[in-house]
Amino acid sequence: MSDQRSEFAEFYRRAKNECLTAVLVSVGDRDTAQELVAEVFSRAWASWRTVSRHPAPKAWVIRTALNANVSRWRRRRREVPLSEVALVADLALPDTADSSVEPQIMAALLRLPARQREVVALRLFLDLDTERTAEVLRIAPGTVQAHLGRAIAALRHDLVPTSRQKGLAS
Amino acid sequence: MNDDELLAKIREQRATIPMAVPVEKIIRRGRIVRARRRVPVVAMLAAAAVAAIVLQPSGHPAGIGIQLAAWTVVKQTDGTVDVSIRELPNPNGLQRALRDDGVPASIIFEDSSNAQPNPCQSYGHPELLQKVITLTAPEHPKQNAIAMTIQPAALPSATGIQIITSQANVGVHLVAASRACTG
Repeated sequence: MSDQRSEFAEFYRRAKNECLTAVLVSVGDRDTAQELVAEVFSRAWASWRTVSRHPAPKAWVIRTALNANVSRWRRRRREVPLSEVALVADLALPDTADSSVEPQIMAALLRLPARQREVVALRLFLDLDTERTAEVLRIAPGTVQAHLGRAIAALRHDLVPTSRQKGLAS
Repeated sequence: MNDDELLAKIREQRATIPMAVPVEKIIRRGRIVRARRRVPVVAMLAAAAVAAIVLQPSGHPAGIGIQLAAWTVVKQTDGTVDVSIRELPNPNGLQRALRDDGVPASIIFEDSSNAQPNPCQSYGHPELLQKVITLTAPEHPKQNAIAMTIQPAALPSATGIQIITSQANVGVHLVAASRACTG
């Protein structure tokens, strides 16, 4: 058991920040992302024997977090009063406002459609290849490439000043 | 900036937000998740055996009885109240027991067939909840209980707690005390 615990602790140490950033980019809200990631890592520990054998455990975390976000949204849409759950409040987080994604980049990422954000999170933040990303998102590899291409084009448009914009700025 | 530089810049952003929750808390919460998962199984087993077993909510330790209690409420000498929930065939009974022990409480057992408006208003401030409630490891983990210790003295003025359970989840939050909500 202590071996499993050490193994999980190491996985958590290595994966937690990347997963948080990836989920944040996908869901667009920091508090929600932190809640989701904490919940999903807890689930990972609860099923560690299975999750540890997964070919891409970080991808499992992201996929489960995105599913949990959909479930959460559906719950809230039905106005079932299950908010402010203690199991989440128990994990009060220290202030980490001094570290964050660059606002300009975050704003550009959040302007992307949800699916493109998910593809960016998996391909660029978790370094999953196209096939694995397609598996996680349950879409075709070609669709992943198309979403990534569109996302990069949009990000380039938002983040790379064109010569005309440069001229206006000077 | 070409595409490679753009992608590199975006990649630099990963892991710039530290996930500050210690692994110990994740593991503790994972144990709760595991216990939560077993609750439906326990409920089904209990339903199958209902003719032979009477679930006995108990207001005192002697009544824990321990194997078959659906829930227990035990007031300690220091004023804290230990609560253990395995299932909720009688949410009103648990609600009454908590109120009798000085905890303004609202208990809802929620399933798709009994959806009702929530009589309570959230107090917010979820960060205060951990001063009032400590989730604890069940004394008998194999019985699949959710266990917590409540400190009524730590409740903010004019507040109470609400426990909402379903087959898959247990939620606890602070609510504004009112006649309709906490009695």
